[in-house]
Amino acid sequence: MPASAASQRSILAVIPARNEAPTVADIVRRTLAGGQCDVLVVNDASTDETAGLAEAAGAAVIDLPFSLGAWGATQTGMRYAQRNRYRTVVTLDADGQHHPEELPALLKSLRRTGSNVVIGTYSARMSAARRLAGRYFRLLTQMNVQDFTSGLRAYDRRAVRALASREASLLDYQDMGVLMLLSKKGLILHEVPTLMSPRRTGASRVFASWLLVARYMLHTTVLCFAQLGVRSRVLFRSQTARRGTA
Amino acid sequence: MNSQLTAGVIGALLAGAILYLVRRDHMHGSYALWWLAIAAAILILGVFPPVIDWLGSITGISYPPVLPIIVGIGMILIRMLRTDIDRSRQERQLRRLAQKLAILEQELSSVRRDSASEPGATPRIKSAQVIPLSKPSDV
Repeated sequence: MPASAASQRSILAVIPARNEAPTVADIVRRTLAGGQCDVLVVNDASTDETAGLAEAAGAAVIDLPFSLGAWGATQTGMRYAQRNRYRTVVTLDADGQHHPEELPALLKSLRRTGSNVVIGTYSARMSAARRLAGRYFRLLTQMNVQDFTSGLRAYDRRAVRALASREASLLDYQDMGVLMLLSKKGLILHEVPTLMSPRRTGASRVFASWLLVARYMLHTTVLCFAQLGVRSRVLFRSQTARRGTA
Repeated sequence: MNSQLTAGVIGALLAGAILYLVRRDHMHGSYALWWLAIAAAILILGVFPPVIDWLGSITGISYPPVLPIIVGIGMILIRMLRTDIDRSRQERQLRRLAQKLAILEQELSSVRRDSASEPGATPRIKSAQVIPLSKPSDV
């Protein structure tokens, strides 16, 4: 029973899922097999049997009343984690491209490096377009993140608090917007190279067609500009603070 | 039929329509106030067009009739901006409400399962005790 197990374990794996019936049960079982964490599947208004399969595989399942998108579903998991006092949250996709076996490495890195967020990166998977997009956003935000769309991440309690907040509720993807919010709050990001497989079923929600890519780039650019001033101010403050302690 | 009469009739009709909608309670709070002010302005300008010439001479605009047009467009832009801000706020609230609802639903069903598996420990919640929401449109 997930509710009673919550008091013993302190790590929650959040798996947002929308129509991922072919893969979700396998992912839940493999995540649970690690023995480190509870598993929560946030069913983003699927029209197939995703919720039932996930529950049968041993996950706690939250059914959203209507689709909130990938980030809306993930944030639901963050709020659930906060409510149930989990100390760490890991997120992974339900489509099988992230291996649950990589989670221990992520968690270890979160503990060892003292960072607040660890991103599992798989640079070999990135297409030329994605790499170009990455370079563009790095230039725009001055943030040194290789794989900004990776959904394989580990968050500590401070990061979870920041991401469960109202401020994060109007974001649409777990990507630049989330990363900018985290760095605005002065949290430390860390990247770890991981293994990933190509998607077995379905297509990327972001990089599905050129029109979607264009829309996404524009959307994220606007987001970057909206955050730009705030970010530089925070950066400056943290630099002066460091100078003060040195 | 002179132009003043035409302007007066149009102004009175618009103001009347707005007043009617406000009275029918189709708009709440600040919206009603805003629209009442608009209705008053339309009525005054419609019935007393010389007000426009007077305003033109005060502001130094050589062709006074453009004054209400420019001010009107400005008002519409401000109104649209407000609408989008409101919509974003509501979207945020709606998303968070849906998330909370889903989390509470999950909690409720897990509590129910717990109490079903150990009878006597806590009073069991019967499904008959759940109070249904009257209409989906009320939520």
